[in-house]
Amino acid sequence: MMKKIFVIAILFLLLMPMLSACWNQKELTDLAFVMALGVDKGEHKKFDVTFQIVIPGNVSSGQNGEGQGLPIAVYTSSGDTLTEAARKATKKISRRLYYAHTNLIAVSEDIAKDGILDLMDALDRDPEFRTTTELVVTRNTPAEVLVSALANLDKLPVNKITKEIKSTEMMLGENMSINIDEFLAGLVSNGKEPILNGFIVKGDVEKASESEDLQHTKAVAILAADGLAVFKKGRLTGWIDHEKARGVIWILDKVKSTSVNVDWNGRKDAITMALLRSKTKVSVEIKNGKPIIHIVIKDEGWISEANTVVDLMSPSEIEKIDRLVEEEIKQQILASVKAAQKMKSDIFGFGERIHRKDPKLWKKLKRNWHDHFADLEVNVKVDSYIRREGIRTKPFWSDLNK
Amino acid sequence: MEKAKIKASQMFILVVLFEMGSAILVGLGVSAKQDAWISMLLGLAGGLLFFLVYYQLYKYYPTLPFTSYVQRIAGKWMGRLLGLLYIIYFIYLSTRVLRDFGELLTTTIYFNTPLIVINSLMMVIIIYAIHKGIEVIVRVGELFFGVIYLLAIVGFLLIIFSGLIHPEFLLPVLEQGWRPVFITFIRETIIFPFGEMVVFTMLLPYLNDHKKVKFACMGGMILAGINVTITCAINVATLGVDLFERSNFPLLTTIGKIQLANFIERLDVLFMLYLMIGCFFKISVFFYAAVVGATDLFQFKNHQKLSFPIGLIILLASITIASNYAEHIQEGLKVVPVYVQWPFQIIIPTLLLIIAFFRNRKKKTTSTP
Repeated sequence: MMKKIFVIAILFLLLMPMLSACWNQKELTDLAFVMALGVDKGEHKKFDVTFQIVIPGNVSSGQNGEGQGLPIAVYTSSGDTLTEAARKATKKISRRLYYAHTNLIAVSEDIAKDGILDLMDALDRDPEFRTTTELVVTRNTPAEVLVSALANLDKLPVNKITKEIKSTEMMLGENMSINIDEFLAGLVSNGKEPILNGFIVKGDVEKASESEDLQHTKAVAILAADGLAVFKKGRLTGWIDHEKARGVIWILDKVKSTSVNVDWNGRKDAITMALLRSKTKVSVEIKNGKPIIHIVIKDEGWISEANTVVDLMSPSEIEKIDRLVEEEIKQQILASVKAAQKMKSDIFGFGERIHRKDPKLWKKLKRNWHDHFADLEVNVKVDSYIRREGIRTKPFWSDLNK
Repeated sequence: MEKAKIKASQMFILVVLFEMGSAILVGLGVSAKQDAWISMLLGLAGGLLFFLVYYQLYKYYPTLPFTSYVQRIAGKWMGRLLGLLYIIYFIYLSTRVLRDFGELLTTTIYFNTPLIVINSLMMVIIIYAIHKGIEVIVRVGELFFGVIYLLAIVGFLLIIFSGLIHPEFLLPVLEQGWRPVFITFIRETIIFPFGEMVVFTMLLPYLNDHKKVKFACMGGMILAGINVTITCAINVATLGVDLFERSNFPLLTTIGKIQLANFIERLDVLFMLYLMIGCFFKISVFFYAAVVGATDLFQFKNHQKLSFPIGLIILLASITIASNYAEHIQEGLKVVPVYVQWPFQIIIPTLLLIIAFFRNRKKKTTSTP
C-alpha cells in the first residue's frame, strides 16, 4: 500500500512540470499583438516591413479623458525575407511579436509589381498567421503610411480598413474582401488571375500618423479604398477603377447592393435604382471548338431617387426603367470585361470554368490562355426588377410648375 | 490472451474509431487530386474484400488469435517466425501513428517542445490503458464515440454555414481518367486505413457472439469509410485542388477557415481534440495486438508484464524511425506500402487462407469414415 502511494507521488511530481507546457509558454504580457503588416521596397535590403502593434490599455472605449494615449504603436524593420525582417524587429520591440491577430497585410505598389511572390510563402506556411487576413495594395503611398495612419471612428485603424472593405463590398461593390488564401488560389490557378483591393491615403500624408489628425472634425488624412489591382503572372499590371471595378466584382458575384443611374426624358442620371439583391451566373458554351461565356445577372431593387417627371405608379413606365437599368448594367459589365481583356488578364476565372466544363478543350487553350482570353466572346444578359419606390408615388417634380 | 469479452457494439465502435483515427487528418489520396474521394470509396471496397479473408481465417479458428493459428496452419517454426514478424509489424505501425501525432502537435502549436516529450505524454496514458486490458479500451471507446460524432457534426455544420464549400472544385470529375484513381487506390487507400484491419485478426476472438463479427466489423468499416470519403470531399470542395495538395494536414486548414458571426474562428482546437482521441485508439489497438501476440507467442501468463517494455520500444522508436517529417512521409508513401503493407495485409493472409482451406478439406475427408 505504501509502495503504491510512493510510486503515485513520484509520478505526480514528474508529470506536473510536463503538463504546464513550459516549453511553449507565452505570457500575455510578453506578447506584442501585430494587427497589421506593411511591406515596402527596402532601401538596403529587399523588404522594409512595418508592424502595427496594439497597445491594449489604450483601446478601452468610453474614456475620453483618461485613455488618451494612442491605441497603436508602429515599428519598422528590414530584411531580405519576411522572417528575417520579423526577427530583426525584435531589436526594437520589447515583446515577442504575435501574429495570430494580424488582420491586414498592406503591400506597396512597387512590391506588387515585383516581389510580392517572395512574401507569400511565409504567410502561407506559418501556422500562426490567419488564412483570412486581408491583403491590400497601397497606391501612391508607401505601405508604412497606411499602417501607421490613425482613424477617428475606429480605435484600431486596422479595424477601419477591414470593416470598410466589407461594408463597401456590401453597399457599393467596387471592392471586395480578398484574403491571402484567395489571392494564392488565384496566383496558382492557370485559369484565373488574382485581384487585390487598392488603398490610398488622401490628404496630408505626413500628418496621417499624428493624433493631431484626429483633432479636426474633417480629418487631415483619410484612408480610402480605391480601385482594384490586376495581376498577371504574379505581377501587378494595372488598375481598374470605379464602375469598371464594380463590373468585375459583379461578374464574380460579390455585388450585393449598389446604385445604378439611368437617363430619362433627356435628363442625365435622372432616376436611380438601388439594388437590394443580385445574383450572377456564369456559364460556358462550347461552339465549334470555341468557348463562349454567358453571364446572366438577376437583380432586384427599388427606386431611391427620381429627379424628373415620371409616373412611378404605372407598371409600363417601371418596365421601361427596368429595361434602361438592364442596358446600363450590361454596358458597364462589357466595359469591365474589355478592360480586363486589354490587360490580357483573366481575373474573372473564365479559364477555370472552361476547365470544369470541357477539360480536353482547356488542355489546348491552357498554354496561351492570356491571348485566348483577350479574344473571348462574352455575352451579358441582365434581368432587372424594380420592386418598390419608397414611400412616395410620383416625384414632386411632377407637381412643380403646375 | 486475456479472459475478456467484448460485445458486438463495442467492437463496432472500436473499428470505427480505429479506422477514422488518423485517416482523416493526413492528406490521403492526394495524388488523385479532385478524385481523391473516389479513391477512398474504392479503398473501402477493397478493404471489405480483404476483411472477408480475415473473417474466413477467424471462422476456421474462432478462439485463437492470429499468432496461434498461424502456427497451426504454417507449421510450428514457420508459424512462430511469421508471428514474430507480425508482432514487429504491429509495433512499427503503432510507432508510425505516434510519430504522426507528435509531428502534428509540434508543427502547429507546440513548436519548441521536443517531440519526445509529447510522445511520452501520450504513451504514458496508452501504456496504462493497455495494462488494464482490452475491456477498458473498448469502454473508453464507447465514451468517446459520442464525443467524436458530436465534434464531426458540429464541424460539418460550421463549415457549411461559413459558406466554405464550393462543389465546383470537385469538377471536372475523372479529369485524367481512371488511371490516377486506380494507382492511388493500389498504392495508398487500400492499405491505409482499410487494410490495417488485419490487426483485428488478433482481437476477433474476444468477441462474445461469433455470429455478429461480420456485422460489427464490416459495418464499422463502412461507416468509417463513408466518413472518411465525405471528409475528403469536403476538404477538396473547401480548399480547391492546389491547396489540398500543398497542405500537410488538409482538415486542419479547412477547419482553420471557419469564420462565423465574427467570433467563431480559429477552431483548430476542435481538430486537435479529434486528433487526440483518434490517435489514442489507433496506437492502442496496434500496441495491444502486439502485446497479445507476444504474450501468446512466448507463452506469458498475463500480458501486463509486457505492456511497459513494448510501450517503451514504441516510444523510442517513434523518435528514431525518421529524422525529419519529409523522410517520415516518404517512407510511408513509397517504401512501406510496397515492402511492408502489401505482404502483411494481403499476401500472407491470402496464402494462409489457401493453406487453411486445404487443411480443413483434408480434415473433413478424414473424419468421414
